[in-house]
Amino acid sequence: MKRLYLILAISALSLATFAADWDSANQLYAEGNYADAAEQYRAILEETPRAEVYYNLGNAEFKQGEIARAILAYERALRLKPNYPDCKHNLQFAQAKIIDNIEDNHRFFLAQWAEAFRNLLSEATWFQLSVVLFFCFLICAFLFAFGRSIALRKTGFHLAWITLLCSVVMLCCAASLHHRDTAREEAIIVQGIVNAKSSPDKSGTDLFILHEGTKVWVGETVNGWCNIHVGDNIGWITNSALERI
Amino acid sequence: MTKRHKIVLLLSALLLLPFFGSRTWADDVSFTASAPKQVVMGKPFQLTFSVNHRAKDLRAPEMPEFDIIAGPYSSQSSSTSFVNGQRTSTFSLTYTYTLMPRKEGSFTIDPASIVVGGDTYRSNALKVTVLPADETPAASNSGPQQSAAPATSQPSSNRSGGDIFIKTQVSKTKVHEQECILLSYKLYFAGVDVAQFTNNTKLPEFKGFLKQELEQGDVQTELEHYNGRNYQTAILYRTLLFPQKSGDIEIEPANFEAVLRVQNRQQIRSIFDDFFATYSNVTKPLTAPGITIHVQPLPAGKPAGFSGGVGSFSLSSSISSNSITTNDALTVKLSISGKGNMKMVKTPSIDWPDGFEVYDPKVTNNFKSTTAGVSGSKDIEYLAIARAAGDYVIPAITFSYYDTNDNTYKTLRTEEYTVHVARGAGETDQTVVTTGTYTNKEDIQKLGTDIRYIETKPLPAEERKGAGLTGLWWLMYLVPALLSLLLFVLFRKQIRDNQDLTKVRYRKANKVAQKRLKKAAKLMNAGQDAAFYEEIERAAWTYLSDRLSIPQANLTKENIADILRSKNVSDERIQEVTDVLSTAEFARYAPAAAGSKEDLYNATAKLIDNLESTKI
Repeated sequence: MKRLYLILAISALSLATFAADWDSANQLYAEGNYADAAEQYRAILEETPRAEVYYNLGNAEFKQGEIARAILAYERALRLKPNYPDCKHNLQFAQAKIIDNIEDNHRFFLAQWAEAFRNLLSEATWFQLSVVLFFCFLICAFLFAFGRSIALRKTGFHLAWITLLCSVVMLCCAASLHHRDTAREEAIIVQGIVNAKSSPDKSGTDLFILHEGTKVWVGETVNGWCNIHVGDNIGWITNSALERI
Repeated sequence: MTKRHKIVLLLSALLLLPFFGSRTWADDVSFTASAPKQVVMGKPFQLTFSVNHRAKDLRAPEMPEFDIIAGPYSSQSSSTSFVNGQRTSTFSLTYTYTLMPRKEGSFTIDPASIVVGGDTYRSNALKVTVLPADETPAASNSGPQQSAAPATSQPSSNRSGGDIFIKTQVSKTKVHEQECILLSYKLYFAGVDVAQFTNNTKLPEFKGFLKQELEQGDVQTELEHYNGRNYQTAILYRTLLFPQKSGDIEIEPANFEAVLRVQNRQQIRSIFDDFFATYSNVTKPLTAPGITIHVQPLPAGKPAGFSGGVGSFSLSSSISSNSITTNDALTVKLSISGKGNMKMVKTPSIDWPDGFEVYDPKVTNNFKSTTAGVSGSKDIEYLAIARAAGDYVIPAITFSYYDTNDNTYKTLRTEEYTVHVARGAGETDQTVVTTGTYTNKEDIQKLGTDIRYIETKPLPAEERKGAGLTGLWWLMYLVPALLSLLLFVLFRKQIRDNQDLTKVRYRKANKVAQKRLKKAAKLMNAGQDAAFYEEIERAAWTYLSDRLSIPQANLTKENIADILRSKNVSDERIQEVTDVLSTAEFARYAPAAAGSKEDLYNATAKLIDNLESTKI
């Protein structure tokens, strides 16, 4: 019990210091000292990763002209808090400033919609909703099995399959987000200009050029080189040129 | 020192005293020895020592290989001139020895020493080659005075005694492609007087060679012993040649035309002949023989990126800075120095990383052509401007050449440079604007917009976030599913039990009814009318309830007809059922008014029988 109190006390204390850091970092930002503000935001993030702090860090990076770093911070903020309109707006704004214009044209529109739908809520929310709907499904199933009247049983049947389907879809969304967050396959190019090679070494043929801020999908990693997918293009670039979200 | 010399010295000193003024002895004393480089055995020659100040006490070196046959004679001269108010004085004191070689070979004459104003100065050492004397010519046309110094006019009427020809000389006849050779045309003459060369010189075209002209310089004659005769020689023309192809390349003969001064033949013989002799100029065509050069191709196995250089080279490079900001210029300097076909060396290129705007390199050639070949350096300045921030590696510059000393290909490489390009202040927008895609995107870009402001609200306390798909998340599905399965099974069992009860009743409906009828018959015989009617009515209702699987409480006289009709029972039967039920009920309350008990009993028994055979 004592230990629990101690933990609570420590966490309260650290929260207080974060609050102080947070206010001073915001003050630095307001004064236009973006570099120091960004430094302070990063210090806070090391202790407690929060969407709001990532968002402010992204703003500080953006004001310094580090578009790629800003995009990275916004993406991380949206990972923690998918429903964050300011962050979405700023991310879009920063993405308009990057050089590479990679459109997801090659992907089926339904896949794009599905991804947008998946990103509406966080993994935990999807999971909780899925569980609730699963309960609903069970209730409806009972209604179907033991309903006294035909109408009741019919209603029960239809509600049951709808709720089960929704529950499964939501579970899939949660699983997909879980995979995204654990596998960390998405990355942002942080080096100004990087050449994608045909093989994971310096002597490989240059296939295409990527500029900073572009989002890529990272596959396997070999000797400090990683296989990246961007649009239809597949190539190898050094690990140092990108940062995983 | 002779007495006369002393007097001259004294006189000149008195004369020159006002001019010398405050001049000291110490500055720029030069004391030089000079003698012909080649002398001929048996011919006297002169050795002179000159000094540009008044001096005394000349000590000539020991010269055991030579006999001093005259000297030293001293002479001096001085001159003073005023040019634009500037006075220039020169003074020269010369000592002359006449020497006679004792034997053939190369000898060194050691330095002499002299005292000027109390300091001792030493002259330079000399190298003298003593050539053998001309062999006694077999041909009768060589006169006895043939061996006189050929550069001076000969009092010989014998024109054919002179000899003149040109030799073609090359430094090497077997070379590699691109390897430098020195070609020279050397004039040999003896016993003739060469006045000049006409412009009628025809040099070969040197096909297959790259020609590098050399400074021809002043024509200087030298003595050379050749085929038993001492010739005056002079280099007429020389050039450096670089073979451009392999195989045997022939250099064609070259044509020269010399003008010889020849004394006219005169029959009159007088003592004035020599003084008033007349001369005429005769042109004589001369041909330098052609020569074949064997050019070997460069061996196989040329390295990739072979620069074409043949010779020996070295490489050095430097970089202007290792850390710059965007839009700054970066200069890499490369210097290729050495000896060989410098002109044919290709400028190596740098494989700049992307993000640099590259300009054409600036090449400065600093070559020197000497008889030993072309040497010097090629300085290349590569310029690039960094356009994007990041860490870049400028790869090593490689330079491959064929080394003529070791006869192998060699590859030199400079070091790699790592450059850190930092983002320049206020350059953020420029890097974006320079791209073409940005303009395409402008239609979706709202003008005058900016990112939204930072979050300024205090950080919310860490909200309790539900766990995602971690740990035993699947239990959230499994446990309710199993529970509901259990419930389902239990419910099913109960329902089945209920269903069994009605079935049992259905099956036993007839039996129960027959029992009640039997009891009713007993009561009828016993004369208990009320009990009889009650039993009859109960038998009918129970039977109907069991047969229809409807609780007895839900059955009334009013709805029984509807229920039976819904079960497709014929109207005749329904009539029977309602008749029996109403009769039994009526009889219970008004037994007297009722018909006979037997009729009711039989009607009931008949009804049950009929219903039993009817499918409900």
